[in-house]
Amino acid sequence: MSSTHVTTGGHQHAHHFANAAEEFEASKQGMWLFMVTEVLMFGGLFVAYAMFRSMYPEMFHEASKHLAVKLGLTNTIILITSSLTMVLAVIASQRGQKQKILMYLGLTFLLSCGFLVVKYFEYSGKIHHGLLPGGLFRNSELTHPKTPLFFSLYFIMTGIHAFHVIVGMGLMVWLALRTMRDEFSPAFYTPVELVGFYWHFVDMVWIFLFPLMYLVG
Amino acid sequence: MSDHQQSNQSGSHDHQSHDHHQILSEKTAVAVGGALLLLTGVTVWIAGVDLGRLNFTVALLIAVFKASLVGLVFMGLKYDRKENGLIFLSSFFFLAIFIALTATDLLFRGDVYVKGPLVAAAGKSQFKKAWVSTPELVSKGKTLFEQQCVACHGAAGKGDGPAGAGLNPKPRNLTVAAEWKNGRKPTAVFKTLTQGLNQMPVFGSLPSDDRWSLAHYVLSLGPSPEADSAQDFAALKIDPTKDDGGAGAGGDEAKAIPVEVAIDLLAVPEPKAQN
Repeated sequence: MSSTHVTTGGHQHAHHFANAAEEFEASKQGMWLFMVTEVLMFGGLFVAYAMFRSMYPEMFHEASKHLAVKLGLTNTIILITSSLTMVLAVIASQRGQKQKILMYLGLTFLLSCGFLVVKYFEYSGKIHHGLLPGGLFRNSELTHPKTPLFFSLYFIMTGIHAFHVIVGMGLMVWLALRTMRDEFSPAFYTPVELVGFYWHFVDMVWIFLFPLMYLVG
Repeated sequence: MSDHQQSNQSGSHDHQSHDHHQILSEKTAVAVGGALLLLTGVTVWIAGVDLGRLNFTVALLIAVFKASLVGLVFMGLKYDRKENGLIFLSSFFFLAIFIALTATDLLFRGDVYVKGPLVAAAGKSQFKKAWVSTPELVSKGKTLFEQQCVACHGAAGKGDGPAGAGLNPKPRNLTVAAEWKNGRKPTAVFKTLTQGLNQMPVFGSLPSDDRWSLAHYVLSLGPSPEADSAQDFAALKIDPTKDDGGAGAGGDEAKAIPVEVAIDLLAVPEPKAQN
């Protein structure tokens, strides 16, 4: 790539930081603080899950049997694999291996697409069987009067999670474009690493959602 | 995330002080990824083994272990400054407080009793041995039934009231004797009225006389009910030999109601919530 204005390693740290390392540490700490807000946001939903589960254990048991374990498992495998490809993209960026960054970002992106496709089939099945949140619930097999609560939690929790996946895909496109413009180098790869954090967090949330929703209801 | 303002300084990059830029080896990354997939398999496998209540704990422990692997290796907390790990962990500390405080309220509401205007004036029973059906009680029950029950159970008690149409299970057809969940005798209906059943709301705030009257009226709609046994009375803490029945027969107990019941009374009923 013949570029005249930006060269590899051409990133300059902002003037209010003493040096690039300090800027990197500050950015990273900012990302950790963002992770805290994310934990607390999903945390609120997990609290609701815990409380309703302890109030209506038989209802949770019955309702969770109507979730598609195989699709949930497929998505768990997809997300964990995508976390791995994301780490490999970060490692490649730390070593300045441009082609590898693009390859691993591409793989992560494709896996995310797979995740959403599986999610589409899963949601369609739920809609088809009337297993919907709150007042939209239309299923006569599940008789416990509080059953719609379970599906409210299911759709809100997996829905917000899926939204995070979509945001992550946008961030990967952004990283790929910047990689193609040679903006990253072993001296500057902060955005790649921090999007990596975000992506691993999305994986982490799913690690809890999958067993709690699909397996041990 | 990163700021691209031009620095006024020399623009030199201090690359030497990247102490915390630990580059993970690809081998480690793949190994951890493999471990995570393996643990996913373990989670699914162990969920199929019946461990009773332990299933939940085991699933949660594996999830915590997996999340720790992701945090320590993939997100690099193991190599990061300690304060970043502390920041992240603090969120789980606050989450624990969140769960604990919510649980202390929500899960123990049945143990908290409230007094106040919600609680109907209980007072002493106006009837001697209200658990024994009399035409007077049945007629009082009929009046109350028309006020409190017809919306769901229907004017004739056939379970066909307009508000009951959307309920699942359907309101009981009181004229038929089969399959009464709590049994078909005065103490059983009294208990159902006091505690609610499935979609049927709690009527525990009604004075005990009213609940007994309703019980006798409801039972008068179908074939003759079964008789109450000594155990039935004992379960309600009623002494059937006394005219006022003692502790469980209404009277004082209605002066305080569980906060759960109070919330139910305050809440807007949800007959149309499910179809």
